[in-house]
Amino acid sequence: MLSLVPQLICATLEKVLHKVVAMDPASPLLLQKVQGKQLALQLQELPWRFVLSATADTLLLNQHNEKVDCVIATDLATLQKLNDPSQLTRLIKQDKLQIEGDLQVAQQFSTLLQHLNPDWEQQLSGWLGDALAHKVATAIKQLHLYIQAQLQQLEQATVELAQDELALSPTQAEMNQFSREVSQLHARLEQLSRHKAFRQE
Amino acid sequence: MTDQQPDSTHFGFKTVKQTEKVSLVANVFHSVAAKYDLMNDVMSLGIHRLWKRFTIDCSGVRPGHQVLDLAGGTGDITALFSKRVGPTGKVILADINESMLNVGRDKLRDLGLVNNIDYVQANAEALPFADNSFDIISIGFGLRNVTDKDAALRSMYRVLKPGGRLLVLEFSKPEYEWLSKVYDLYSFKLLPTIGGLVANDKESYQYLAESIRMHPDQDTLKQMMETAGFEHVSYHNLTGGIVALHKGYKF
Repeated sequence: MLSLVPQLICATLEKVLHKVVAMDPASPLLLQKVQGKQLALQLQELPWRFVLSATADTLLLNQHNEKVDCVIATDLATLQKLNDPSQLTRLIKQDKLQIEGDLQVAQQFSTLLQHLNPDWEQQLSGWLGDALAHKVATAIKQLHLYIQAQLQQLEQATVELAQDELALSPTQAEMNQFSREVSQLHARLEQLSRHKAFRQE
Repeated sequence: MTDQQPDSTHFGFKTVKQTEKVSLVANVFHSVAAKYDLMNDVMSLGIHRLWKRFTIDCSGVRPGHQVLDLAGGTGDITALFSKRVGPTGKVILADINESMLNVGRDKLRDLGLVNNIDYVQANAEALPFADNSFDIISIGFGLRNVTDKDAALRSMYRVLKPGGRLLVLEFSKPEYEWLSKVYDLYSFKLLPTIGGLVANDKESYQYLAESIRMHPDQDTLKQMMETAGFEHVSYHNLTGGIVALHKGYKF
């Protein structure tokens, strides 16, 4: 029974991907560049290798170890960092990311996934009507901003609490001063040990 | 194997003349064609979709491939292949039964899959294609109903390209004794009743359950494929061996 789990994952994700791609009016243009290409993703956390392939109007998902255009092997934490292209070389050097095959295919798929911008509001309007759909979409956007602001505030408050109220952690200035003192001490030690060595000779 | 006389074969648990089997099987499928998809979902609780996806995952299909979906019935496997071979490839949906082919054609057209699919009414024992024509041949839940399975496998070997592979998805023998008992209870008691209720056709589903028991088990089918010329033949048991996927290459 367990042997069919990857097929279940693929079938479910493929349905979701199909819906998301169909919601973005710009997707045919984005898909054109990767049409017919296959990208394999091997995550360390999972025993299966998933293969993403692009057609003219949707993305397909399979699980197999056959030959593909490009293979990316990485772990979940690193996968999230791939959004930032400037990190790529560093991650490859650290051996957290292995890319085999046509690098261009990986870049094209990454561009596609980043630029995919499903028009949720349009879909919602079919159910709720234009006015209500717009209200709901605006409310969700505001909620998102509100949560972000709250999270930032919480972080700031925690830092202040730890540094100023409870004096558990040092401030930036204290930290700088401490490291300066450590360097000075290190230099002094170096000086002394040389002095000692000189005396012994 | 179980045949007593050279000109007889089995139709479920009955022994019939070889010449009669084709028309008897045809009657079964003319009868179930309209409700075939619904019954598949009810009988297997939707798991047949995953068995078919597993077949695709084992096929190594790529854009541009020529694929033959034998006994393709209502076109589930064809639909999966069609999206994956793209505009440069081609899938041929072949079935011996006209009713099933019509249902399949209507369904695939409704799904918008029209560009790279051809429909051919053909007997698997004598395929009407040139030698070395296909990269992949699949036969899903069809080999069981073929009268002369060895002739069918030889015919598939002939039309497969060197380097191509054959995938046989078929009911098989459960791996565990307890599962076998549950499965027998299900398919002989429950299945014909469900068939009677949903498709109004108890006999056809009685035949289905019987024909599964008469089908060669995993190792016998593997042996048959090797005899037909296939190499590196292997099989995967799915859902405890209720279904098995056999894979063989032509080199």
